[in-house]
Amino acid sequence: MATTSLITDAPDHRPSNIESTALLAGEGRTAAGTGLKRFMWLLAALSVIGFVGIVFRFINDDGRQDWGFYAATLAWMLTIFGGAPMVAIAPALAKADWVRPVARIASLGAIVTAIIALLMIPLLFKFPALTQFSEVLGDDVRRRSIWFDSPSYAPHFWNVLILLTLALVGMAMAYVMAIPDFAAIRDHGTGWKQRWGKKLARGFYGRQQQWEWLKMRIGITGALYFAMLLYTNFTFSLDFAVSLVPGWKDSLFPFYHTITTFQAGIAFTIIGVWAARRWGGMNKYVGHEQMWSLGKFMLATTLLWFYFFYSSFIVFWYGRSDSDSATIKLLVSGPYIYLFWTVFFLVFIIPWWIMIWNKVRDSVWGPPIAAFIILFGLFLDRIRIYVSSWSAVPDDLELATTSILQDMPDTMWPDVFDVFIMVGLPALGLLSILLVTRLVPLVSLWEIQQSRLITKPVRFLRSHVQLVGKPD
Amino acid sequence: MQQRRILDEFTVNHELLRGNLATPKWWLPTVLGLLVVVLFGFTLMGIMFNRGLGVTGLSRPVYWGLFITTFVFWVGISHAGIMISAILRLTQAEWRRPVTRAAELLTVFSLLTALFFPLIHAGRPWRIFYWITPYDFARGIFPNARSPLVWDPFAIGTYLTGSTLFLYVALLPDLGVLRDRTTGWKRAFYTVASLGWRGNPRQWRLQTVAGILLSALMLPIFVSVHSIVSWDFAVTPAVEGWHSTVFAPYFVVGAVHSGVSAVVTMMALMRWLWGWDNYIRPEHFDALARLLIVVACAWLALTFAELIFGVYSLEAPERALREMQMFEWPWNLLFIIFFLTGFAIPVPLWFFKRVRNNIAMMFWTSILVNIGMWLERFLIIVPGLSRKQPFVFTWDSYQVSPLEWGLLLWSFAWVMMLMLLFSKFFPLIPLFETKESQVFTTDVQIGRVTMPAVIRELD
Amino acid sequence: MVTEVTEKTAAQRVASHKWGMVVDVDRCTGCQACVMACQAENNIPLSTEDIYRQKRTFAWIRVERYWYGDFPDVKARFIPIMCQHCENAPCEPVCPVYATYHNTEGMNVQIYNRCVGTRYCANGCPYNVRFFNYWEPVWPVSLRNQLNPDVTVRSRGIMEKCSFCVQRIRRGVREAARDGRDLQDGDIGTACTDACPTNALVFGDYNDENSRVSIMAKDDRKYTHLDALNTDPNVLYLAQVDATGGAIGGHD
Repeated sequence: MATTSLITDAPDHRPSNIESTALLAGEGRTAAGTGLKRFMWLLAALSVIGFVGIVFRFINDDGRQDWGFYAATLAWMLTIFGGAPMVAIAPALAKADWVRPVARIASLGAIVTAIIALLMIPLLFKFPALTQFSEVLGDDVRRRSIWFDSPSYAPHFWNVLILLTLALVGMAMAYVMAIPDFAAIRDHGTGWKQRWGKKLARGFYGRQQQWEWLKMRIGITGALYFAMLLYTNFTFSLDFAVSLVPGWKDSLFPFYHTITTFQAGIAFTIIGVWAARRWGGMNKYVGHEQMWSLGKFMLATTLLWFYFFYSSFIVFWYGRSDSDSATIKLLVSGPYIYLFWTVFFLVFIIPWWIMIWNKVRDSVWGPPIAAFIILFGLFLDRIRIYVSSWSAVPDDLELATTSILQDMPDTMWPDVFDVFIMVGLPALGLLSILLVTRLVPLVSLWEIQQSRLITKPVRFLRSHVQLVGKPD
Repeated sequence: MQQRRILDEFTVNHELLRGNLATPKWWLPTVLGLLVVVLFGFTLMGIMFNRGLGVTGLSRPVYWGLFITTFVFWVGISHAGIMISAILRLTQAEWRRPVTRAAELLTVFSLLTALFFPLIHAGRPWRIFYWITPYDFARGIFPNARSPLVWDPFAIGTYLTGSTLFLYVALLPDLGVLRDRTTGWKRAFYTVASLGWRGNPRQWRLQTVAGILLSALMLPIFVSVHSIVSWDFAVTPAVEGWHSTVFAPYFVVGAVHSGVSAVVTMMALMRWLWGWDNYIRPEHFDALARLLIVVACAWLALTFAELIFGVYSLEAPERALREMQMFEWPWNLLFIIFFLTGFAIPVPLWFFKRVRNNIAMMFWTSILVNIGMWLERFLIIVPGLSRKQPFVFTWDSYQVSPLEWGLLLWSFAWVMMLMLLFSKFFPLIPLFETKESQVFTTDVQIGRVTMPAVIRELD
Repeated sequence: MVTEVTEKTAAQRVASHKWGMVVDVDRCTGCQACVMACQAENNIPLSTEDIYRQKRTFAWIRVERYWYGDFPDVKARFIPIMCQHCENAPCEPVCPVYATYHNTEGMNVQIYNRCVGTRYCANGCPYNVRFFNYWEPVWPVSLRNQLNPDVTVRSRGIMEKCSFCVQRIRRGVREAARDGRDLQDGDIGTACTDACPTNALVFGDYNDENSRVSIMAKDDRKYTHLDALNTDPNVLYLAQVDATGGAIGGHD
């Protein structure tokens, strides 16, 4: 077989290295336009409003149930921004080349996890301890949790620690993945960017040994981040939702939470790609190939949302015990029934129906629409879970040790401060990402350059394909 | 590191059709030996039909034992096929090529084996059409759609149909090759089977599209089949340790773990028995081992969740069951063996590149994994049944009878015999995939390094 | 009165009842007469020593004995357990062939000739009151004339369990209709309730406010087994009382 004659060179329209460097690291980078500046000021204002909301929440709250929306907002932010770096890990784990341009956008989500860890502290003041005095029993009573015989403050302490560790590992990973770009900024940039690039590059000059060190660090931080994310989802979802509701015994819930984290992370990356193309000038770097492949995974995780939801639902439904029925009533068919059906359509039916069409998935406008719908739907889903859990905690903890939820709580509606919080905190997250992108290029330059080295467009018989080298 | 071999078409045809155009010397004695075991197994089934289920070790309250364990085990192994051929095809992973057909074959034959077990272990197997056919025989009653046992045959039947179609569609080009190289009755057989395959562009396009469509359609089935099997257990609140929401993904991930390990075993055997060193290379075992590490870690997380939630509710019956399952004799020994063989020995070994690239090590670790996974199913099913609820007067254990061990042995012999029979008439490694990979790969020079490069289609 | 009874259709006669049982644990002496009576009435296969060693004994009603108290005041408590005929039965939704279902009279019924023998219902039953015929039942020659012609003799591969002696219920209802009288409480008795020397087992119609079971169901001592599983059984238990008159151990 004459293999070489079937593969011939094809015209290469990809941006050259000089052009990429100029755009991403050097003089081609424009300063923030007025539109962006105005948007960032808007986000800053919203963040301040968010803090105002938190302060007022402290001042007038009628009890634990009023903090449900705060918990839901934090959970939603953790879901999106915690899940996004997973997309960045994919090139290292699966040696997938198409992910390289979006890895930077994805890894930026890690910055927000630190903010989430700090924002969790007000919530911890309202989070019930494991052991409390019960009026009804006249004695100390301990509620169910995964911390078994640990001291009373265990969930509070460990949750902050775990979330901070996640933030540190995530930021370490994002930083390590950006070091070569900082070096490029040091070499080609000007002004304050050049100074910061020099500080952050810490002597990276692209020597063989430095590259190998870098690859190893990326691999280690990536694997650690994956493990920490799973663990964070485990403890956060169990402590802040499942353990609070008497009778809710759901071994699948942490994994449901994790799958939606992946779904949200992919959705965030897709929206980031869309924004990078529309306003960031990254049209030549990220396009419909990324949308197509990310869209496939978003479709898969959307289907998995339904699968994980249904797996726990069917077990509760057939169980028919009081605690099973109460759990279904609280989360699905009772006070939050309309919310549940809205979530069902927004997170599953509508995105599925959008994303199964090849033509939609293979476009640059299709996946972002589905991604927006999914993210909004997931926000409502977090409200469904966390608001209902926080309002189901019985006042007297004696009831929490029984296995059955005695009184179904009423539907909780957000008041004006809850709206402040729900709008302000995500704005703060988005603002921090935008601030970071002032220095860090939106698309990672060194990944683009490596991609150029290893891949090239070729002609195979009569079609255009890509030739991908396999160095390892 | 990619170990690319440059092979011309003649060599590929000659080597891969080695099993079909001529019979290897070991083939006939092996098949005859397996046939003896298979016939022995059918005899045992006959004895069971004739005398009743009393010949097994099943008792009250352990009504489900080794047969259902083996059923779940074989359904689990069948998940390898879709994992490897469908998912790796859709993600365009090159290293799947030698493995796809063997994995699909394992799926089809293990499903066929799995189907036997729930049917033979019914009390009155001659009446099972009440159960598995969606028709109201006598008395105008359809099967009970609320029962997971009714979903089982439909799910497994769908999976079997889809996998068989997938296997057949992928087999067509190779049937054409065989038709062109045989004479006599064999030629007549291959002519009919190849459905007029000529290898023109239209047929290739249809075949490729059919393969992609079937891959995508089989993915939901892949997830749902073993979930439905898991719901056989999860919907019964009476048995402690069964009523757990995590069962569905737990079983699916366990199935992938067990199935991919079975594929590793099979690939090692293929390489050794037919001498296919050029096609099944250490790099394939390396890639499979890395996939297995990810799957095994996911499986560990799910196992941990299942065990921790066993005691989370602080309800005495479930805690008592978990304690019995992990700490009391004889379950504690089985538990330790299960954990060691299923995870603690193979997975750390797979972290080492030398182990991953050593085919004998991969063969033995994959067998260990499947021993562990069989024990896992046994530990899920039997302890829960033997200690159901606080009515101590009905607690009882389960003694596996020789007949049941015999049927377990039969199931392995049956699968192996079917695979060997298949290998006589059809090539186990797809010829067209191998040739496609030859055409799709070339060497490129980047700087001072020459490396293999693969074509990736831009959708 | 005569016209009232004869005007009811068969379906109406059947549907107007809700059969149930009350078991007074305090009265049970553990004599096992109920077990013997049930075996004789319902053609239950013999639990020989071989069957016992295979752990496959049949006892549609069984008497469980629990010790309580410290030495030397150790006492025994006897609890007869039969099919609880749960309104929310976990055995019903899982049978693939509808061989077990809940009829309109509040009973969980088993259709022997439909049963395929998957034993899924037995796994679902938390009370372990379902029994499987692993072997073809064999009675010694001397016992064959004792088989009850009103009750099916089950072959191997079939699940069976307490049926509240449905043959006696049907006979009682038929005879009352034939004689043109209403059913009174006590007209129909299951084999175990008829055999019990201390009246610890009482059978009746919950829909009849004046029946003994309806009156006993209002007792303070009443409880049901495994109520956390929410099976809603039709068999109520009355707890044993200790020397001071307080109830002992509601359930195990």
